[in-house]
Amino acid sequence: MPHCTPEQLALAALREPLPDTDAAHLAGCDRCRAEVASLQRGVDALAVPELAAPQGSVAPPPAVWAAIAGATGVSVVPRPELVAGGTAPARPAPLPAPAPPPPGPRSPSGGSVVRPNFSRLLLATAAALVVGIGVGAAAVALGTADGDEGLQVAAAALAPLDDRGATGEATVVERDDGSRVLELQLDAADVPDGYYEVWLLDEAVSRLVPVGVVQGGDEASLALPTGIDIGEYPVVDVSVEPLDGDPSHSGDSVARGVLES
Amino acid sequence: MTELLERDGRRVRVADVIPDDGPPPGSPWPDDAEIGRRFAAGDEQALAWAYERFAGQVHGMAVRAFGPGPDAEDVTQQVFVSAWTGRAGFRPHQAPLPAWLVGICRHKIADTWARRDRQRRATEAALAEAQAATGPAAPTVDSTVADRVLLLGELEQIGQPQRGIIELAFFEDLTHAQIADRTGLPLGTVKSHIRRTLERLRMRLEVDGAALHA
Repeated sequence: MPHCTPEQLALAALREPLPDTDAAHLAGCDRCRAEVASLQRGVDALAVPELAAPQGSVAPPPAVWAAIAGATGVSVVPRPELVAGGTAPARPAPLPAPAPPPPGPRSPSGGSVVRPNFSRLLLATAAALVVGIGVGAAAVALGTADGDEGLQVAAAALAPLDDRGATGEATVVERDDGSRVLELQLDAADVPDGYYEVWLLDEAVSRLVPVGVVQGGDEASLALPTGIDIGEYPVVDVSVEPLDGDPSHSGDSVARGVLES
Repeated sequence: MTELLERDGRRVRVADVIPDDGPPPGSPWPDDAEIGRRFAAGDEQALAWAYERFAGQVHGMAVRAFGPGPDAEDVTQQVFVSAWTGRAGFRPHQAPLPAWLVGICRHKIADTWARRDRQRRATEAALAEAQAATGPAAPTVDSTVADRVLLLGELEQIGQPQRGIIELAFFEDLTHAQIADRTGLPLGTVKSHIRRTLERLRMRLEVDGAALHA
């Protein structure tokens, strides 16, 4: 029987199964087996699980960046909430454990193919909520009777989530007939081929209700769904939505704040 | 990876609609290629972006090798410091930035193993001396640890597509048929590249491995 080809011996060194006749030959041929063994030393050194392609993300603790900045002398700072990891560094707010599938309120499960990262982004930006909570706590005086306009029952200052710098103020006003509106003043750059959408999120940032479309630099009055409990959905979120016909949250939030009543 | 690309594609679109000339300095979602380009050019912001996007994967590898703690954190730190100071050696056409960082991470993991092995030998040698007793007990080098450092260096020298092929076999555990599928290369080409690369690694071990272990 002829010896195995050099290519087959290389595959054997990678521990791929050979065709039966070659395998039978290899089992009984010292020369071929010695060849496999000599090629296998490199395989054994490198093909180990520790060196395999990355399989999971783990967020490094903040000290790691501090050491990198110290060693390189760079003065930029990564946004900690964006440093991808299985666990967010320094979680400020209650987070959904493994986030449920993208909670896009109107999109079927297929939507997750298009926007797979929504829940992850929500997780990532949850850290930014701290800012919103701080600012929200300093919100305007509440409960003021406002003539025919209704009664202001809650308000939030919207803080930017990134350097696009979108800001705003949101107030929930209850009218005499019991209906409620979210009055929003948004200070943000125009989105030429998209739009801003306003959402109410729960504090775990895992469920959301769409409220309406707004323009940057505009004041808008958006009717709230009857019966929604703003204590349950206290976070006002403004996202950039592309004109792609997908009704679910893009995951691209620009400003947030927490309603205080 | 598809997810990442998907997200990046989307992010680019969103960033593009922000009225400004090109991605502004603080544009939150440049794509991987843009980060790589700016990284190579020495733009500090690109280091922060690369960290935001890839530190989780790099640290995930380090933690897989050493568990959470100082060793893993050192590895992750060294990967980004080495990448930054060695950015002149970054070849985007050979491997995009995340793959390059993963490659550096392999080196740092192998270096850490080698350092631990040196420490082990130093300890054993000290112990043997203290016991001042019998024998030849010169602590032995863990040859696999040394082989890894040597061969990772050799891999760096291999051009594409040979390097990508052997990395798919080593690090993604793909069969030659799967590699052919993935790369679109003919089976015979994949097999002969695998053969030649394994010969090349064997040669490197025969030439330098022996000296190293002597």
